[in-house]
Amino acid sequence: MSDPDSGCQHGAIELHYEVTTFLASEAALLDNGEYTEWLALMTEDILYRMPVRVTKVRDESEVGGMDHFDEDFYSLTKRVLRLSGDHAWTEDPPSRTRRFVTNVRVLEGRSGDELIAHSYLLVFRSRLDVRPPEWVSAERRDVLRRVDDVWRLARRDITVDEAVLRTQNLAIFL
Amino acid sequence: MDTQQLVDRVRAGKIPAGVYSEASIHELERERLFSRSWQFLAHESEIPNPGDYVMRRILDDSFIVVRDEDREIRVLLNMCRHRGMQVCRAEAGNASHFRCPYHAWTYRNTGQLVGLPFHADAYGGESGFKKSETTLIAPPHVAVTRGMIFASLDPDAPSIDEALGGFGFYLDLYMNHSEDGMEVRGPQRWIIQSNWKIGAENFSGDSYHTPHTHVSVVEIGLFTEPKANRRKEGALYWAGGGGGTTYKLPTDDFDKNMAYIGYPEEMVERIHQRWTPEQKKMVGEAGFMVSASTIFPNLSFVHNWPRVREGAHVVPFISFRLWQPLSATETEVYSWFAVDRNAPQWYKEDSYKAYLMCFGSSGMFEQDDVENWTSITSVSKGLLSSQVELDSTMGMGPDGGTLHEPIGHWPGPGRAFVGYGEYNQRELLQRWAESLDRPRNGDVSGRSGWTSASPASSETGR
Repeated sequence: MSDPDSGCQHGAIELHYEVTTFLASEAALLDNGEYTEWLALMTEDILYRMPVRVTKVRDESEVGGMDHFDEDFYSLTKRVLRLSGDHAWTEDPPSRTRRFVTNVRVLEGRSGDELIAHSYLLVFRSRLDVRPPEWVSAERRDVLRRVDDVWRLARRDITVDEAVLRTQNLAIFL
Repeated sequence: MDTQQLVDRVRAGKIPAGVYSEASIHELERERLFSRSWQFLAHESEIPNPGDYVMRRILDDSFIVVRDEDREIRVLLNMCRHRGMQVCRAEAGNASHFRCPYHAWTYRNTGQLVGLPFHADAYGGESGFKKSETTLIAPPHVAVTRGMIFASLDPDAPSIDEALGGFGFYLDLYMNHSEDGMEVRGPQRWIIQSNWKIGAENFSGDSYHTPHTHVSVVEIGLFTEPKANRRKEGALYWAGGGGGTTYKLPTDDFDKNMAYIGYPEEMVERIHQRWTPEQKKMVGEAGFMVSASTIFPNLSFVHNWPRVREGAHVVPFISFRLWQPLSATETEVYSWFAVDRNAPQWYKEDSYKAYLMCFGSSGMFEQDDVENWTSITSVSKGLLSSQVELDSTMGMGPDGGTLHEPIGHWPGPGRAFVGYGEYNQRELLQRWAESLDRPRNGDVSGRSGWTSASPASSETGR
């Protein structure tokens, strides 16, 4: 399905539509602070990873064994529980976020129940009144799995475009 | 601001809020504090093989920290001797040579200049320009202790061991777990709109914020017990060049306490070989385990032990971070994860997970800390608020002494108190104010403090 000509094939357009709808709905849940609903989109074997990007000379690996996120269902659940409680001060008042999801590409997964979705993400984050806005730009490589006839997120690898983040923390999901 | 007056105010626990945002204060810090203090650059496990390097800064000075072909650790000012271009622009990698992209002057990873295009034609060869005597510049002092590579820009700096003083005792509890030392992952790097001192102070002694700022982390069941009491019963110590906080452990038995915070038996066995009887007494008989701490001025450590899966026992993690000031109101945080190189693989993975959940760019403790510090920095800019004296008098007695007696028979160096108090924050800020009150002899730029490249010879203090 990565073949550009295959975009016209029967089923590919529908699939592309399903994936973009999934990603748009997911972004809306996060932008609206509906974290519990967001967590419900994950499979229980979810792997959610965001390596630290390191500036390297061409041809040397840009990842060096450290991550910003390396999460499983347990740790994501804890993070969501915290944000859903009354004492996660960093997000109360909450950030105003807007997630722009573009450049969606749908690739074949390892089985019929799974597909791979690549997308670009730009997050605008505004906190309080006069603080300068913060941006996070990234690519996401997702594995979506069809469970009980709905798509779930089974894996997400986030490639962030900054070596030094300019957002005060990752109390937001990408 | 009059610096002598500043020393007096800080000593009295009254901190003019403007010190967290005024550019003139930060200028003094650059000139009189960071020009003199030992600054952490890298851990030796980041550059295990010949040619491995990382690029690090001390404020605006860029350095290459590299292991040369003879396995010596070198710290080289990342600045071509010709026109000042950075000869290395990658954050990490492996290189036998660094070639300036501007005119191709090329340096071996010892710092020695070996390539100079058209040396004969353009300079008249060695008699015109002494290529053989030209190296990248090295900072006046480089030292390695417990695998940690430090540099000082001050030709008159005391040795790293003198600078650490009694804090070395506590540093071992974080960084000396087996004969092969620690290995690190990282750093994570991110920029916060906060003055660098606030984090340094917080880690040095603010056990008082834990029950409130971090209540959410306790509520979600990341720990096996409420943190508040263990925190209040903990000791605050200051020794030599640093100080920190501890948790009170439930027993007076070393092995039981180590197991309680999640160290597996085989690691405890190795630690037995490394720690002195006094260090073991601290954790055993006295029942105090180090948590957060700061080496003056801007290197902090943290040690904590959350659950990394539902219903499981806790697992400890160790992390250290550099509060690198970018300006009076901005700090770049570098945060590393550290673990005993000889720890079992499952432990390394669980401990890493524990770190990521708690500290660093996404850590659930750190998230709430930074929100506080950003707010303090921003508010302190005000015409009125910059003049307000913030209160750091906790634990001071009415007669200028302390409210409580220091702990008697404290097994470690320095002095320690049980309970909440801002002893350490005052200690740290007092050192800071005294540094600002000490003018440098002559102009920084006019000194010939730097030296030619030479290896980090002073392996100290294991």
